[in-house]
Amino acid sequence: MQDGPAAWLARRISFGLLTLFLLSVVVFAGGQLLPGDVGRAILGPLADPRAVAALDRQLGADRPAVMQYLDWVLGILHGNLGQSLEFRAPVSPFILGALAHSLRLAAVALVMVVPLSIGAGVLAALRRGTLIDRVISLAGLSLTVIPEFVTSILVILLFGVWLRWLPISATWRAGTGLLGQLDHLILPAIPLVVVLFGYIARMARAGTVEALEADYTRTAILKGLSGAVVIRRHVLRNALLPTITVIAAQTSYLVGGLVVVESLFRYQGIGSLILAAAHARDFPMLEAGVLSVGAMTIAVTLLADALTAFLTPAPVPGEGG
Amino acid sequence: MRNPFPLIDPVRRRQGPRENQLIGEFIAGQIGRRGFLRRGSALGLGWPLLAAIAGAIDPLGTLPARAATGKAGTTIRVGSPMPAGAIDPVTVGDAGGLLMLQQVGEFLVFDQPNLRLAPMLATAWKPNHDGSVWTFTLRKGVTFHSGGMMTAKDVVATIERLADPRNASNALSVFKGVLSPGNIEKIDDYTVAFHLDAPHGNFPYYLSSDNYNAIILPADYKGDFEKTWDGTGPFQIEKYTSKVGASFIANANWWGGRVLPARTEFSFFAGQQPQVLALEGGDLDVISQIVVQGAEGLLTDRRMSIIRLEAAIHRQVHMRCDIPPFNDQRVRRALALTLDRPAIIQGLFRGLADLGNDSPFAPVYPSANRDVPQRRKNIAEAKALMQAAGSRGFPVTLTTEHLLEMPDYAVLIQNAAREIGIDVRLKVEPPAAYYGSAAFGKSDWLDSPFGMTDYGHRGVPDVLLTAPLTTHGTWNAAHFRNPEYDRLVAEFVAEVALDSQRRIAARIEQLLLTETPIIFAYFYDYLTATRKGVTGVAPTANGELYLQSASAG
Repeated sequence: MQDGPAAWLARRISFGLLTLFLLSVVVFAGGQLLPGDVGRAILGPLADPRAVAALDRQLGADRPAVMQYLDWVLGILHGNLGQSLEFRAPVSPFILGALAHSLRLAAVALVMVVPLSIGAGVLAALRRGTLIDRVISLAGLSLTVIPEFVTSILVILLFGVWLRWLPISATWRAGTGLLGQLDHLILPAIPLVVVLFGYIARMARAGTVEALEADYTRTAILKGLSGAVVIRRHVLRNALLPTITVIAAQTSYLVGGLVVVESLFRYQGIGSLILAAAHARDFPMLEAGVLSVGAMTIAVTLLADALTAFLTPAPVPGEGG
Repeated sequence: MRNPFPLIDPVRRRQGPRENQLIGEFIAGQIGRRGFLRRGSALGLGWPLLAAIAGAIDPLGTLPARAATGKAGTTIRVGSPMPAGAIDPVTVGDAGGLLMLQQVGEFLVFDQPNLRLAPMLATAWKPNHDGSVWTFTLRKGVTFHSGGMMTAKDVVATIERLADPRNASNALSVFKGVLSPGNIEKIDDYTVAFHLDAPHGNFPYYLSSDNYNAIILPADYKGDFEKTWDGTGPFQIEKYTSKVGASFIANANWWGGRVLPARTEFSFFAGQQPQVLALEGGDLDVISQIVVQGAEGLLTDRRMSIIRLEAAIHRQVHMRCDIPPFNDQRVRRALALTLDRPAIIQGLFRGLADLGNDSPFAPVYPSANRDVPQRRKNIAEAKALMQAAGSRGFPVTLTTEHLLEMPDYAVLIQNAAREIGIDVRLKVEPPAAYYGSAAFGKSDWLDSPFGMTDYGHRGVPDVLLTAPLTTHGTWNAAHFRNPEYDRLVAEFVAEVALDSQRRIAARIEQLLLTETPIIFAYFYDYLTATRKGVTGVAPTANGELYLQSASAG
């Protein structure tokens, strides 16, 4: 017997929470392996040991690690993400701000790459074996293997330094409007588009080819439907299912894995925040950063699964076993 | 003998023996103008007096102009390293944090780029007969941004806070063995006396911009600097956003006079490359510090200006003297003789560095003794030393940090050592892993038999002579123990007169050349990059950036 949507959702959320708990344990355990301590990280290697000990004491970082972890878990249960040891300020504004930044950049990149790559993938499938197909496939493969820092520097030099069409820094001044913000985000989004284009286009192409060869497409054509209708109603709907999964899988990379891009374009995203927290042994910031990316990944995956379920054609009653 | 400078006789009659000795050295040509001004300022001689004496003896020299000449009211956009944590003058220990502090805060004394001391919040300072008590006269009419008047109680509270081990003070390592809490005396509202743990000839440097934690704060400072940003400096905080940037506006009430720019904007960067790109793209006017690696394009870009300051920034290649394979000083000397230092400087820094002579006395220090011969590459001598030590070579691991040019320098050492049969293997790790807990027994830095460590600029060599090289030095990675060296360093640190410092320096330098516990191959320059047309930007090798006279016209 199959679960209803509510039971399915409850089960997925439960698994998600369990995953997040295990993730917090892994981050905590991994953090213990990092060299040095937070007082030393803040004061520097040449600081007097008495000063380091005093700072560790002030920050509560001299308590047993398990106690620090349990206190942090207790705080989380009360809705408090904790206090940054490095910045001596609540973690929440840092996390929320960085997450918002990352989501904004991810959204711009997705808005650019999804239609472009799906369009190219579908076009390549429809023109299978032609020059267009080969160009799209080859370009996609080639672009995917170019490291982000190379693309980033190239677009900065081209559009930022030589042509001066777009600002190099992705950080905008306070009070900048939505369009102005977009101006700052286009350049850093381009390397992400380059990385993702080939991947998504190939999936879209493969899905489209499969759908084009499927029985239901042949049936639709035999029913006399126009080519455009066949593609829109029957081919695309089925072809995009694996593509949606791929896009969902890339979202966690787009949000949490852009340290290089964030650094080159001076953008305070969650990836840089997590890396800096690990360097500084700022345990509350590190935990909150990793868990926020984890939670977002789980949510996007859930959404993608729901969308896939929605788009998957319902089995015809009486068919199947 | 006829007195060649009769005009200064009346001045000399009013000075003490130490001041007259200094003037005598200057007349005799034993020290240059720079050394005279530097030592004179350290002795507390006022600028007008120093200028008058220097002008009478050496009329071609000039004192640094303070007048701002550029276009007023501009905004200066600066690329800055990302501050490592909360901005708190007591704990800050990184370049980004220091830059923020120094925009609003000021020190008692300013250690200028040429290592001369100049008055800042103190107008004069004087030692007692043996340099164990230093008395500072404070500037009158200085106000904090919050409106309060700066007086002796603020100075006493600020320095007490830094010298107190309970306060997590980053200046504690500077004051250790020099100044203990409770030994700072308020004489009156504008006079403060510092009773030192032992005589110290260079103590004013410890209260200068050389000690970047020592900005003077209000006496009632509560550790909430990011809320108040209360200092006495030419700029006041406008906005600070952690991990993003900061902006400052001109302080109309600054004691130093008119502040030329209307605003300054600091953008924080996690690395150099994005800053270089932002400067080239016109998003920045200034990068506070660049290093040659990764900024080669800027050095030859006609649209840019590079401000070059001779500095004492260096790497220490330590060889543990207490365990094989480097427990024989002949082996240590042999390795030091394999390095082609001019080629290293050219390769790593495009020549923008000074040669090191295996002692902390960088050429920039007036106390360095230039009569000591420079060590040069000599493979024949190195092989002879290895033979005399009964060594035909050995494998050894050089442990170092993944930082700036250090991995490249390690490879150069590896190649050089091969010439005398030493097989160097490299272990390059992140700085945090290299320093570990920064305690003996828990740190690759302090425990490795052969390691390389980064050291920043200091205005005087005292800390570099003591912590990494004396028997009980807390940074003694070489495990070097030499009572004669300890005695000479104690003598040097206590000495006030420059000629005596130089005399002792010669003996220290000779001793270190013989023992060679640490290789000091170079001291590289501090570089600041600006757009052409940006004027009045005044960096120091300590990492400060003074912008009160800057213009981006």
